[in-house]
Amino acid sequence: MKKRIGFKTLGCRLNQFETDALASKFVGLGYEVVENSKDIDVFIVNTCTVTNQSDQKSRYVVNNALNHGHTGMLVITGCMANHHKEQLEKRYPNAYVVDNQQKSTIPQLVEAHYNKEILPSNQNVGGVFDYAPAAETFHTRSMIKIQDGCDNYCTFCIIPKVRGRAVSRPVEDILENIRQVVGFGYKEVVITGVNISRYNDNGIGFSALLKQIVDINLDFRVRISSIEPDSFDEAFFELLKHPKITPHLHLCLQSASESVLLQMRRMYTYKLYKRMVERLRAVDPRFNITTDIIVGFPGETEADFQKSLEAVEELNFGHVHTFKYSKREDTRAARMSNTVPESEKSLRSEQLRQAANDSKINYRQQFVGDQLKVLVDTVKDGYSKGYGEYYVPVKINQVLERNKLYTVKITGIETWGEEPNLIGVVQN
Amino acid sequence: MGKGVPAANKIKTDLHEILDIRHLTDSTFVLRIEKKDLEFEAGQHVCVGPPNGIHTREYSIYSAEQDEYIEILVKEVENGLVSPSLKKLQKGGYVVVEEPVGYFTINKDLPQAQKYVFIASGTGVSPFHSFVLSGKAQNYTLLHGVKYASEAYESEAYDENKYVLCTSQEDKGTFNGRVTDYLKANHFGVDAHYYLCGNCNMIHDVYDILEEQGVSTDNIHAEVYF
Ligand SMILES: Cc1cc2nc3c(=O)[nH]c(=O)nc-3n(C[C@H](O)[C@H](O)[C@H](O)COP(=O)(O)OP(=O)(O)OC[C@H]3O[C@@H](n4cnc5c(N)ncnc54)[C@H](O)[C@@H]3O)c2cc1C
Ligand code: SF4
Repeated sequence: MKKRIGFKTLGCRLNQFETDALASKFVGLGYEVVENSKDIDVFIVNTCTVTNQSDQKSRYVVNNALNHGHTGMLVITGCMANHHKEQLEKRYPNAYVVDNQQKSTIPQLVEAHYNKEILPSNQNVGGVFDYAPAAETFHTRSMIKIQDGCDNYCTFCIIPKVRGRAVSRPVEDILENIRQVVGFGYKEVVITGVNISRYNDNGIGFSALLKQIVDINLDFRVRISSIEPDSFDEAFFELLKHPKITPHLHLCLQSASESVLLQMRRMYTYKLYKRMVERLRAVDPRFNITTDIIVGFPGETEADFQKSLEAVEELNFGHVHTFKYSKREDTRAARMSNTVPESEKSLRSEQLRQAANDSKINYRQQFVGDQLKVLVDTVKDGYSKGYGEYYVPVKINQVLERNKLYTVKITGIETWGEEPNLIGVVQN
Repeated sequence: MGKGVPAANKIKTDLHEILDIRHLTDSTFVLRIEKKDLEFEAGQHVCVGPPNGIHTREYSIYSAEQDEYIEILVKEVENGLVSPSLKKLQKGGYVVVEEPVGYFTINKDLPQAQKYVFIASGTGVSPFHSFVLSGKAQNYTLLHGVKYASEAYESEAYDENKYVLCTSQEDKGTFNGRVTDYLKANHFGVDAHYYLCGNCNMIHDVYDILEEQGVSTDNIHAEVYF
């Protein structure tokens, strides 16, 4: 069924013009467009802020839609979004507040939202994790956001357009945030951002920041979330040996074909990627490397795809997230010819998924008989679950305490659905 | 929310006046526009588009860091959306320009005497023009692959001995053939830093050639146009 988009426009003719332009873009993308807020999936309010009255009117329109039961996606744009962004984000935590400069990217934003690629910015910054005590939130890991935005412009990706330019959070602010959450009882901090390897705060790059983080004299472990394999230095590989840093990286590969990587404008070659994997496994032979792979990128030949398949077989990934390429308007890839038919994409995706599953079982098998330090995050129905330092899920058939670290001996693998879980018993 | 947590930050766009247009061939031209407060590092690109549309495209900056204007070198792509409309614009008109971005820059930690090999196809020569005019590299060789010698695009900016024009469709350049043929026959060594810019196929082939010559991928930098 077509998604319905409702518009409400306040203020000047320019606003109306822009609404019309947006509306026609949405129609082109297959959405149904209406000029009200009834029974819609997305409500876009193009606000005005020329007088206090216009502010009030704009707020009224938003409140009215929410009071009448709008629970779908909410986008507030226009001049009020420029002038009162913070206020609006505070007042409407589920809204995307999009300033005028980014107004034209709203269609991509909506598509990305439904693809679960992005969240409203104030949800994405990990606000709930930041200063809430563990006892209140029951989270075991605290997300620490160190930067936002991306300037890489991979040809398939709209993130740079919707999230804007790369900006880095000041070092002191990050360190303070970590001290606080560890003080609240969190045992693990997860370093997050859109493109964290490009972190740069007045010349302090990612490795230098990481060094300051592990030097904090408190007891916690550090997990680095998704990272682009394009700007690692020697210091980074050295730091990975630090006991506080968990041996896991989500290192996005996207494709193992050199020509597809070039077409994607990724900033590394497959050869370089492979060398990084070798270096990580030199730090720890069981280093958990998880990744994303896109299948069916425009121009991807059967031979290109085979390269990705071989990479999965060769690199012993702990997990592979397979994506079928889907076109994003206003990206360079959207203008490429040689698209791969949907049926072929599905075929390739299925093949890759199977190889990824074999690789996962293979990877996890090596822990059987060993001990892991498991941070328990789920306790229910007589069992507990958590993640070991390698970020592999472990199930223990015993009720344990949440947010506590246990030494667990791995006794075997049990497959639920398709997920091969490690099974273990607590050691005393 | 932490006070310094960065959140979605805007891409700055602005209207810039067109100061001059130089037509170098039937299809290729240099657009000189107001600099305003744009600072950039040689090798970066800007997104530029006509003032009345919502579409922009990436263009490497052609001018030098210290120039008081910004220039881009544009080739009109047949049936393209943005490049033909940029070609129709006139002096005194405006273009939309986003702030400069990109990582195709010279590593400041490398020594002054560092040897560079710049390899371009077509308008891919643009960032190298900016490198050279900004004084970023002294010890360089620029290999420029084009079809016809008329596409040498203001090559007088380069030291004569450092510019190799490779023409594939006529025997008029320094070398008759593709840049890849030139590179196969002329090795520049494993210590040089190689910068490749232009179309994907050229870059792909050059990677292979350099790999065969034993050049580490750490020494190869690429900017893919299409
Ligand atoms: C980082 C970066 C820097 C760039 N710098 C420059 C530059 O300095 N000068 C420049 O002229 N272009 C440059 N480009 C290419 C430019 O962004 C546009 O792609 C080009 O101008 C075509 O845009 P269009 O809207 O006219 O065509 P579109 O409607 O976008 O595309 C039409 C088709 O033409 C193909 N195409 C794109 N560029 C070319 C080309 N040069 N020759 C032949 N086919 C092409 C595309 O693959 C596409 O299939 C750069 C691209 C990138 C990513
Ligand atoms: S590096 Fe990641 S976020 Fe940035 S453009 Fe590429 S895929 Fe998108």
